[in-house]
Amino acid sequence: MPQPYDADLTVRALLEAAGIPASEDETAKFVEMYPALRSGADALYADEWRYEEPALRFTPLRPEPRS
Amino acid sequence: MTSPRQLPLTIEEAQAALRAGDVTSSELTEAALARVAELDERVGAFLEVNAAAHEQAARADAELAAGTDRGPLHGIPFGLKDILATRDQPTTANSLVLDPAWGAGTDSVVTERIRESGAVIMGKLVLSEFAIGAPDANKPFPIPRNPWDLNRSPAGSSSGTGIAVATGMVLGGIGTDTGGSVRGPAAANGHTGLKVTFGRVPKWGVTPLGYSLDSVGPMARSAWDCAAILNVIAGHDPRDADAADEPTDDYLAGIEHGVEGLRVGLPRPYFFDHPELDTGARDAVEAVADQLASLGAVVSEVELPHSDIAKDANTLTMLSEALTYHRPDMGSERWSEYGSSTRMTIGRAALFSAADYVQAQRFRSWYARRAAQLMTEVDVLLTPTSPGIAPVSSEMTDPARRIRQPSYTGPFNLLGYPALALPAGFSPEGLPYSAQVVGAPFAEGLLLSAGHAYQQVTDWHRCVPPIVEQEG
Repeated sequence: MPQPYDADLTVRALLEAAGIPASEDETAKFVEMYPALRSGADALYADEWRYEEPALRFTPLRPEPRS
Repeated sequence: MTSPRQLPLTIEEAQAALRAGDVTSSELTEAALARVAELDERVGAFLEVNAAAHEQAARADAELAAGTDRGPLHGIPFGLKDILATRDQPTTANSLVLDPAWGAGTDSVVTERIRESGAVIMGKLVLSEFAIGAPDANKPFPIPRNPWDLNRSPAGSSSGTGIAVATGMVLGGIGTDTGGSVRGPAAANGHTGLKVTFGRVPKWGVTPLGYSLDSVGPMARSAWDCAAILNVIAGHDPRDADAADEPTDDYLAGIEHGVEGLRVGLPRPYFFDHPELDTGARDAVEAVADQLASLGAVVSEVELPHSDIAKDANTLTMLSEALTYHRPDMGSERWSEYGSSTRMTIGRAALFSAADYVQAQRFRSWYARRAAQLMTEVDVLLTPTSPGIAPVSSEMTDPARRIRQPSYTGPFNLLGYPALALPAGFSPEGLPYSAQVVGAPFAEGLLLSAGHAYQQVTDWHRCVPPIVEQEG
């Protein structure tokens, strides 16, 4: 269960960590939308796909043969 | 001389007229340019008209006269979203931020293929900045407007291509689709648009939005026209690591396949019962299902569970991938050079964690397996393309609205499935409705033949915005 959070504090910290120089007005808008965004992200953590492998892909790159 | 009013409506008709000697490419191009001159100031579709269009048309006429026939796009006025690199015109991505050196002197794979087809490239078309967000009147780019109602949005991000096709400034064009950017404008502007299977069309030379979601696809008035374009742009290219090394079909050869016995699934939950879904839009799609059934399709109700979560997973994936590309510019004094909607949209990704992104990919695996299972029971899914008619432009900047509304397109980007948007009627206000036909990976041919069958018995795709009629 997600813990309660301070949206204003959280958003300011996350924007700062990402280096995003949002204005005060823009920051307020991010704060306003944050609960809905967080709720959407939290809904991704459901038991139905608890043991699913992620759809990521990585292919080890072989070195070019020496000429 | 062909007047703008006499322009053939479709590529299918224009290519037949060219070969019958009823019109020349130069006449088609001149008429299309006249329409740009008449309408574009009001609808905002073009960033730059190609000064070489006349020359390309004259070359097409000469080649056709000499018996060199490059296929159905030869001599056809055509537009490119300004996110595809073109060697002879600047590429801006509708942004002050994109380095002018990006793509300079280079053609994207799709641009190369369109050139080779003999199409007349009319110019570079307006888009939402970097294929996301809403127009910003404070930036030096045209504001795209819906030709059916200039106060409404033409949708995005391939807004210019959508407008240009709807108004006949071009007969076909290219869009890109990461969460609905081909299908949304096709729906809002009242024509056909195909979001291809992820990897079906190489995206090398296209500025990225969501690396694992982006697709490049055809936009045109009809399914036949989209098939003609797909024949040109589909197929592997080694420069795109995501390009699928799968054989392509001749999409026109199979276009008359029809829908007899086609198993059509209507995913009721979410796609037909969401409280934000306009009942008129829903009823229009129900009518499409009835029409397909009358043509021999077998329609049933199905379920694609957790499609609401798929919308959020697609958005989270798209924005996170976009922020990795834009972080060097967004995390600097260039932040304010982005349009306000663009930076507020991509900036949202900073509010998610890396774990959220990976978790979205775990959901994606689960959702993909459920969808693959469902596609053993039906051949195609039928849904609304959009939850309603094109919104009033001023409402487009409200992020809460976007978060609240369902997305009927994004879940199929998450799956990588192909999906065809088809005109499906009009609202009482005279704005287009659209139905979406979705298939399993690489089933573009099936979607196009189903769309063509529907368009043989309906004429929604042939309706022209009043602004064009008034100009005649």
